Amino acid sequence: MIILAENPELAMWGKWLGDGLGTNADGSTAGNAIFGIFLSLVVYLIGQWLFKISKGFFLFQPLFVGMVLGIIVLVILAKTFGTSVETFYRSAYKPGGDIIFWFLNPATIAFAVPLYRRNDIVKKFWLEIILALIIGLSLSLLVIYEAAKLIGLDTVGIASMLPQAATTAIAMPIANAIGGIGAVTATACILNSVIIYALGDWLVKFFRIDKDPIGAGLGLGTAGHTVGSAKAVQLGSIQGSMASIAVVIISIVVDLLVPPFASLVGLR
Amino acid sequence: MAQQPTSPKSETPTEKPAPILVQMSIFAVILFVSSLISPLFPASLPVPTPVIGIVILYTLLATHILKLHHVEKFADFMISLIAFLFVPAGVQLAANLDILKTQGIQITIVVLIATIVMLVLVSYTAVGLIWLRQHLFHRQHTVEQESTQSTN
Repeated sequence: MIILAENPELAMWGKWLGDGLGTNADGSTAGNAIFGIFLSLVVYLIGQWLFKISKGFFLFQPLFVGMVLGIIVLVILAKTFGTSVETFYRSAYKPGGDIIFWFLNPATIAFAVPLYRRNDIVKKFWLEIILALIIGLSLSLLVIYEAAKLIGLDTVGIASMLPQAATTAIAMPIANAIGGIGAVTATACILNSVIIYALGDWLVKFFRIDKDPIGAGLGLGTAGHTVGSAKAVQLGSIQGSMASIAVVIISIVVDLLVPPFASLVGLR
Repeated sequence: MAQQPTSPKSETPTEKPAPILVQMSIFAVILFVSSLISPLFPASLPVPTPVIGIVILYTLLATHILKLHHVEKFADFMISLIAFLFVPAGVQLAANLDILKTQGIQITIVVLIATIVMLVLVSYTAVGLIWLRQHLFHRQHTVEQESTQSTN
C-alpha cells in the first residue's frame, strides 16, 4: 500500500490488508478498497437492524448509526495501531469510502426522474418555487447568522455556517471564499442530512408542513439535500419532485446570494 | 436474452424497461458530459457535475428525447441507496475530529437550528406564495386533488 509505506507504524495493518483481504485487478494491493467498503456496509446494516428491532427509534436511523459506529471503529483501530485517527482514516478507510462516495454522482442525477414525474406541478408553480427558495433562503440566512452569533461562533465559524443549504460541492468553495472553513461546512451539510433523515418525518408533522406537499418537498430538499429528497420521495410524488428541484435551485441560489450576504453583514 | 411475450394490443401501453446496462450507460454518458461542462463555470460560481447532470437528464426527459422507461429503474434503485451512499461522507468526520473538539457543540447546535429554520421557512414561504396566488389572482389551485391521485 502506497500511503502505508510512508507510515511505518501502519505496516502491520498494511500487511494484513495486503495479504489477507484480496488484491486489485492488476495484482497489486495498493490502496486496497475492501476495508472501507466492508466497514461501510457492516455499520449501515447494523444500523438497519437496530432500527428494525427498536421499531423505528429515531436515533437508530441507519445513516446515523453507520456514521457513529464507523467513526468509533476507526478511532479504536487507530489507537490499536498507535496512529492518529486522520492518518488511519486516509490510509485504511478512504480508498473504499471514496468508491461508495463516487456513486453519489449518479444517485444525485437520478433525482431528475422524480422531478420529471410531476412535471405538471413544476410547469404550473415554477415562479412560486423559485421565489419561495430565494425568499426562504434569505430569511434563513438572517436567522442562521443571528443564531450563530448568539451561540458565540467566531466570524470563521459563522462564515462556515452560511452556505450549508447548497450541496457540499458548492457549499465548500463558497465557505472558503467568504472566510470560512470548507471542512466545517461539509460537516454541516452532512449533519443537515443526518438530522433530516432522523427527524424529518417528525419535524414535518410537528410544524404542520405535511398539509402542503409543495412546501414540504421544497423544505425537505433545502434542509436535507439529496437525503431530504429521498425522504420526500417516500412521502409522495409531488414532495419528491419538489425536493429534487429544490436541491438544484437552492444550490444556485446559494451560489448567488451567500457571497453578497456575507459582505453585507461584514464577514469579509 | 429471452423475449418476454407481450400482448400486442394492451389498453395502457406500459413500455418495457430498458436493460439495466443501457440505463447505467445513459447515466454514464450524462455524467461524462456534465463533468466536461462543470469546469467551464468560473471559480466564483461553482456548479458541480451532479447538479448539471440533473438539469441535463431533466431536459432530456422533458423534451421526450429520453422516455421514463429508459432511466426509471436505475434511478429509483440509486435513490433507494442514497442513505447508504452517505455513510462514507459521515465517517469522513473522523478526519475532522479536531474542529469538532474545539467548537463541536456550538456548531452542532447552529446546524440543528439551521436545518429546522431552512425546512420551516422555505415551506411556509411556498405555502404563503401559493396562498397569495390563489386568493389574489383567483387562479385554479388543484394540488390537493392531484396529490391524492398520485399517492395511489
